Amino acid sequence: MAPDRPPMDHHPMEQPRVAALHGLGVPPERLERLSAALQLPLWRRGDSATPTRGAATVLALLDGVDSAEAAESWARPIAAWIEVGTLSDAALGDAAGRARRADLFAFLTTATANHVQLAARIVRAITDLHPLPEAQRDDMELAFHEAVSNALVHGNLQVEGMKGLSVAALERFSQDLAARLADPAFANRRIEVAVWLEADGILVEVADEGPGYARPEHMEFGASGRGLDMIAAIAEELQLLDGGRRIRMRFPL
Amino acid sequence: MDYGIEDKDQETVVRLRGRLTFNDHAKLRALIREMLQTKAKRQVLDLSALEFVDSAGIGMLLIAREEMSNVDKLLILRAAAGQVKRVLTVAQLNKIVAIED
Repeated sequence: MAPDRPPMDHHPMEQPRVAALHGLGVPPERLERLSAALQLPLWRRGDSATPTRGAATVLALLDGVDSAEAAESWARPIAAWIEVGTLSDAALGDAAGRARRADLFAFLTTATANHVQLAARIVRAITDLHPLPEAQRDDMELAFHEAVSNALVHGNLQVEGMKGLSVAALERFSQDLAARLADPAFANRRIEVAVWLEADGILVEVADEGPGYARPEHMEFGASGRGLDMIAAIAEELQLLDGGRRIRMRFPL
Repeated sequence: MDYGIEDKDQETVVRLRGRLTFNDHAKLRALIREMLQTKAKRQVLDLSALEFVDSAGIGMLLIAREEMSNVDKLLILRAAAGQVKRVLTVAQLNKIVAIED
């Protein structure tokens, strides 16, 4: 996953930044070790301590889907979500560094991102920070959902779209999706989502660990293939980066 | 996504509820199978209680349309609202499927 910076013209409205760490299902010893390594104090919901004051945010480390399902796990002041999984402390430190540079950040396995409906969670977190009219929120959720679905299904799981308009194509898609989600080699691949709130827009990047994607010049629509066009119809800007493994979208505010 | 089927003389009305996304592939297969077993020529999908649909959901609706057409049935999308109505418009589905208010 490219640990690059947000675009040059990024001017954050304020400097929220990660000020504390929260564990969701992470063994206590490891959480304490990471708290020391990342120099972030531990936080619990209900704490009246400094971390929750002002624009300061909390980074949640999650392990397993159970703790990731509760709505509370996605509510302010938590603004970054990193799934521990099989990551080393060093890799977690790198991810935390990327989380510190974004306003909202998620780095999850494919299985977990799919299970918790990551796109809807992040859109809710965005609207908590910046309320939007319903139509605008709906559009953004669709674009977000399409970008995340592409990253998960076609990127990380390498499942091809439904070719042709038949139940047979749907069955093939079902079987491939189930098989890949059951295979840790695919299901443990990561998706990374970063959001920056700017003065007049929202910048979003969604990255996967798949084989990449080149947008064909001409596309035959079957039951699949509309996602990227829908994003293009909604987003103000759309760029495919890293050989198609990262999509950058910008929505006006 | 959940659905309920009401089989009438003139038409079959299927009420979809919740979110229709790529994860609903198994339910759509089951639904298409059920619709093929009904007698009515007109197969109406009532979308009024559907909250969200994605591009894969649109794709699955098109598969349903095609499967109905293969056995001389007509698929009709009815009463889409909010985000669902917006997506049907963005995808220009009115050019391919019968849409009723």
